[in-house]
Amino acid sequence: MLSALSEATNEKQPTLNEKTRTLIFGIGVIIVTVLIFFLFNILTHGVFLEWSNIKILLSQMVWPSFMAWGMTFLFACGYTDLSWGAVVVLGSFATGVFGNAYGLAAAIIAGVVVGSVLVFINFCVFAFTKIPSWIAGISLAMVYEAISVLLKTNEKTGPLVEKALAKDLQFLARLPYSLIILAVGFVIIYFIYNKTSIGFNIRSIGGNPKVATALGVNLKRTLLWVGLITGLLIGVTSYIQESYSGYTTVKTGLTSIFLIFQPLAIALLADIMQKRINVVIAVPICSFLLYAVFNCLTLMHVESGTLQEAMLALFLIVFGIVGQRKVKGVVK
Amino acid sequence: MTETKNLLEIRGLYKSFGSTKANINVDFTLRPGEIKGLIGENGSGKSTLLSQIAGIYGHDAGEMFVKGEPYDPASPLDANRAGIAMVMQELGVIEKLPIAINMYLGRLDRFTTAGVIDRKLLRKEANAVLEKWDLPLFGKNAMPSGAIEHNKIIELARALSVEPDILLLDEITQSLSHNNRDKLYNIMNKFKALGKSVIVITHDIDEMIAIADSITVLRDGEVVGDVVTAETTAEKIRYMMVGREISGDYYRADTAPDFRDEVVLKAEGMTLPGEIEDLSFELHKGEILGFCGLSDSGIHSVGKAIYGLSKLKAGTVHLAADGTRIRNGATALKRKMAYVPKDRDNEALMLHARIVDNATLPSLSIVKSFLDFLSPRKLKKLSNEMIDKLTVKTTGYAQNIDALSGGNKQKVNLGRWLAKDLDVLILDCPTRGVDVGVKAYIYQLMKDAKAQGIAMVLISDELTEVIGMADRLIVMKDGRPVRNIERGDSFTEHSVIEVMI
Repeated sequence: MLSALSEATNEKQPTLNEKTRTLIFGIGVIIVTVLIFFLFNILTHGVFLEWSNIKILLSQMVWPSFMAWGMTFLFACGYTDLSWGAVVVLGSFATGVFGNAYGLAAAIIAGVVVGSVLVFINFCVFAFTKIPSWIAGISLAMVYEAISVLLKTNEKTGPLVEKALAKDLQFLARLPYSLIILAVGFVIIYFIYNKTSIGFNIRSIGGNPKVATALGVNLKRTLLWVGLITGLLIGVTSYIQESYSGYTTVKTGLTSIFLIFQPLAIALLADIMQKRINVVIAVPICSFLLYAVFNCLTLMHVESGTLQEAMLALFLIVFGIVGQRKVKGVVK
Repeated sequence: MTETKNLLEIRGLYKSFGSTKANINVDFTLRPGEIKGLIGENGSGKSTLLSQIAGIYGHDAGEMFVKGEPYDPASPLDANRAGIAMVMQELGVIEKLPIAINMYLGRLDRFTTAGVIDRKLLRKEANAVLEKWDLPLFGKNAMPSGAIEHNKIIELARALSVEPDILLLDEITQSLSHNNRDKLYNIMNKFKALGKSVIVITHDIDEMIAIADSITVLRDGEVVGDVVTAETTAEKIRYMMVGREISGDYYRADTAPDFRDEVVLKAEGMTLPGEIEDLSFELHKGEILGFCGLSDSGIHSVGKAIYGLSKLKAGTVHLAADGTRIRNGATALKRKMAYVPKDRDNEALMLHARIVDNATLPSLSIVKSFLDFLSPRKLKKLSNEMIDKLTVKTTGYAQNIDALSGGNKQKVNLGRWLAKDLDVLILDCPTRGVDVGVKAYIYQLMKDAKAQGIAMVLISDELTEVIGMADRLIVMKDGRPVRNIERGDSFTEHSVIEVMI
């Protein structure tokens, strides 16, 4: 009966053909990556594939991966939040202040709590007001930037740079701890996104909020869940970012938005790859690939303040176009 | 308390949206094992009534009883718990989520332990429902295909998964092709045999008479009749619906093709992988060329492809006069072509815009004033003309289109092309969701357009419609044209179905 549904439902099942295509895609990605890495190695006179450089790369990719996972949830529920850069600054700021004063536990708790609370506040604003999320996000980013400037000004330490986080508190930025926290984060996120009713409810409100609401999905409650989950991710991001950089530069004039561009490029690339790979798995892979490119550019002495940013912008546009291909009304 | 012999009883129900009175003092009963038809003009309050029963809207006044118990659902989930499920006219599925999740969305808790879904159990239960109702099983992580008909079938499976005692179907049949309609009727008969009940809305009176035990007629929000099907006729129903006589003779009276020799548009070897294979035809001035076929026959891809909205892998569509290739919608529009798609919400209308914005969009060139400024007076005039001509039930041209009923949206969808000077008009299910009065009017418009020499492509799931209106009919199967039938003696439902199957 109903051959229509039969054919419809079988259309996107992983048939043998599709499985083969996925396998070919995976092998293709590996081959291309290896070739690119060898090319990078040649271009950098053998420095790129040195273990010390690979270690830097692996440490570098952790915090953007966490933020990109957060963006995956954000995209899935159909919202935009441009304040995450400012949240990370404030969270990192709290990590530095409390960590240096009270030790490791305080550093972790401060970063995670500040990040979580602020992002949760954002989602409360999204859920309970009808302000478009991108406008609310920008407004909140300005508020958070102002708070961090205020805190810094009160300390009267001159430039808008928080003093370095104590070295012994930065261990999560080093191998193997950074990879352990990445692995733990991956397992939890994969689980929430793919195996829980919350994960599916989040994806349903982004897929078609009208249908989701009509079927009994509570829009506000689901949004608050997104705030909680992404808040925790941004909180963790804050601590890891502070551990990795060792200091926080307080941003003003919405320059904090720049912090989200690299994770955004990762999330967009992962979004493209999710036709073949689960998006949660794709995020760290894309993070590694993207940072490999920037690492190579740095080793080739390409200026980080100008050309690398231009490259990032180019990546964002290209990934955006490729990611939206075949999406009705976006790019033909 | 009410008599227990009624599965559902409604007394004195009122519902308003602002100044619009959608339901006025509605009394309604449904017995166990009854298939009840609900019919009325567009905007007569049918969908609003079902939506209140399904817990989508609350009511302003009145009472509802289910199995004799007071019933006042706060949400669709509440209604589900009371054994009521609805397939809505315009809802859809979430295409990014697997079919099994779509079937149980909002009710995933029963498969969830500590927040984690038991996907195996979910699939097992989903398949058990599909098996029970003789629907096909699906594989692990199968996703919706996106086609409106397939989505509708998933929505039906979703409603059946509630194991309802009362199934509410809001114009679902008009989204289904011939073969799938038969399958839906089987499900309805099974419901009846199990002592469960169905309330069905359809604008096809003949279909309504064939499937329903009794019919409630609504006009302007009020019940104007409640009749036993066996004791009524299509004419009586039509009269009750509109309050005046409407001739049942909508279609063309002639029995032979009647169009000019001049070819307006040529399609050669049109191929769209998985949808259309090697389709060629010529469209003549004043011709109505019909397309019909079962689900997955590809007929609904034809309209988009002709209008240049799909990128053909092979083949061409071009205007015969000067050979202009139709590669995109802009060219088509410029060359006096128009397209009315089947999926009006997603492909035709700007749902969050006003009627005036939707109605005048294809005709901006004729409402332009000095220095390209859009004349508010002309915009208003054009919109109001369309509203009056098609009797769109609205508070005015500035009303948002998403506040209109499905049928009234369809009137705007079609009506906005009427102001234009056209050579080619592509109509994909033009009467989907419109009432009998407007249906007659649309057919009359088609006849007038034909007389003016406009070439039309009519794609439809309604066999009577294409047979009634077309000069020629291309029957498609699995994306390929299998027979070209000319209006004449062999132009019957029976002969066409034989080819379709």
